[in-house]
Amino acid sequence: MKLAAVVASAALAAAAVPAAAADLTGKEVFDRHCVHCHGAGDEMTGTQQLARTRGKDKALLAERDDLPAEYIRMIVRQGLKAMPAFVPSDLTDAQLQALAEYLAD
Amino acid sequence: MAEPLPPGVTAEAMAGTLETFRRIVGKDWVFTGEQMVSYRDPYPVTNDDTRYRAHAAVAPASTEEVQEIVKAANAHGVPLWPVSRGKNFAYGGAAPVLSGSVVLDLSRMNRILEVNEKFGYALVEPGVSYFDLYNYIQSKGLKLWLDVPDPGWGSVMGNALDHGVGYTPYGDHFMMQCGMEVVLANGEVVRTGMGAMPGNNTWQLFKYGFGPYVDGIFSQSNFGVVTKMGIWLMPEPAGYKPYMITFDREEDVAEVIEILRPLRLNNVIQNAATIRSLVLDAAITATKSQYYSGTGPIPDSVARKIMADQQIGMWNFCGALYGPPPVADALWSVIRDAFAKVPGAKFYFEEDRKRRPDILIHRAETMRGVPKLTEFNFLNWAGGGGHIGFSPVSPTTGTDAMKQYRMVSDRVREYGFDYMGLLAIGFRELHHVTVIVYDKTNPDERARLDKVFNLLVQEAAAEGYGEYRTHIQYMDAIAGTYKWNDNALWKMHQAIKDALDPKGILAPGKSGIWPKHLREGRQP
Repeated sequence: MKLAAVVASAALAAAAVPAAAADLTGKEVFDRHCVHCHGAGDEMTGTQQLARTRGKDKALLAERDDLPAEYIRMIVRQGLKAMPAFVPSDLTDAQLQALAEYLAD
Repeated sequence: MAEPLPPGVTAEAMAGTLETFRRIVGKDWVFTGEQMVSYRDPYPVTNDDTRYRAHAAVAPASTEEVQEIVKAANAHGVPLWPVSRGKNFAYGGAAPVLSGSVVLDLSRMNRILEVNEKFGYALVEPGVSYFDLYNYIQSKGLKLWLDVPDPGWGSVMGNALDHGVGYTPYGDHFMMQCGMEVVLANGEVVRTGMGAMPGNNTWQLFKYGFGPYVDGIFSQSNFGVVTKMGIWLMPEPAGYKPYMITFDREEDVAEVIEILRPLRLNNVIQNAATIRSLVLDAAITATKSQYYSGTGPIPDSVARKIMADQQIGMWNFCGALYGPPPVADALWSVIRDAFAKVPGAKFYFEEDRKRRPDILIHRAETMRGVPKLTEFNFLNWAGGGGHIGFSPVSPTTGTDAMKQYRMVSDRVREYGFDYMGLLAIGFRELHHVTVIVYDKTNPDERARLDKVFNLLVQEAAAEGYGEYRTHIQYMDAIAGTYKWNDNALWKMHQAIKDALDPKGILAPGKSGIWPKHLREGRQP
């Protein structure tokens, strides 16, 4: 029984597709984890809320250059009000570093 | 504060167990100390900072690693709290019921094992999100639709296991589940249904196999760790037309539900449609402060202003027509004529909605299975970012809908919150999901929320209404309301727990099911 399960797993694994690549650039991390709230558009929760609280010129994270990398790392790991934190298994420290550098530039 | 230890586990035993976990998964995938901040409940209700705090997290990459972790946890009596992606927000996120538990974080098990267009199903691991599966299907050009809950970043598997609902004809996610792989507490792997037969090719096609149908006991439970799950996907229909019908008066909900019941039961309304209250829909596109600067719930005059501004009603019914245009046209004529009997009902298609952002334009995507995060906008309604769902189930009758609406809305308003409710229409029942949005940074508001939530649970139970799903803080309370015949059902759950997980290492306290050594003094 156990052997059969292992054999079946191996057969499935051959056709399996990992949902996320291991190494991502900062832009790719943004597009995977952030863009659904912080992209451009009138339905985007993060963008809309930043426009209300910080002003429209600071609504789009990808267009800002006033966000220190350390601040970005802290908010991603701790969350901020409505925004929940991102766990290190799903968004690794290396990916977070790439994201922070991408947004800080 | 240091991350807490679970009851009965010494610091040395925990350290040794974590060292074993590091050998199994690699040192980069065991998280401790400051790293645990990400695993806390993002929307806590309690003001007691010691509750719902994990000690550590371990993130395996395979079923085999899960087996080894479970065996090690068993050897040392260390409780695990399995999460698929940990994004069951408003229900605790990745945080455990029992402080000191180690989160068994399955995010890295994110393989899409198969998507079958011919039969319409996918076989996925726990870490696969709705975004992942949607993007895969789009990239391959497959003619399949997902059914999504509101937030697209959650786990396809985790949502089904927690009895989540969506908005297409496949809206009852656990109903659409077919076949599981489960790691038991002793480390053994089981495949359910047809998956138990070597060489069988209907694991994702036929749920029941032979003998007892057991998949249900691995949902909302702590009897095993599900590592693979089949989910049926809807073939892309030949046509799609979303619509919205608005109703102007609070009391209309009774008549609307009476009209809905036969239409849904006969499949004239094909999808898991929803009726939403004014503020819940308004909060997708606006904030409270845009309309009202006072404290407490908005007054009626403000409600009327929002209705006029946003072209929405006191209640808003969003549905969709699926199928070839002649079929859709025929269904629409029946639906339109039925609801036209409600005075003041207004009918909209997408082309009738000019304002942006707009609720029907948003829902038009959700009802065809496009994963999004737009719904998170409502968290900003009052500015504090917290939310929780109170979700009793009732028959699809106007009397019940009105009674529940009065009970819940009066209470939440009495305690200073706006009523933000939706009625998710099943075939024979409705989930009355009331979202309470609160300022999570305000201890007084948290305490007020806790008080009204407990009151709601008890008042609903007194009228025979039970919740279908809940936040980690209220699992014991709600389990305690399912108490017919001297808690016979939860006694049976406990017997299963004791048989499958005698040391009680899997998710102690999930759904109010506690292992023997932690049961004393707890409900039921």
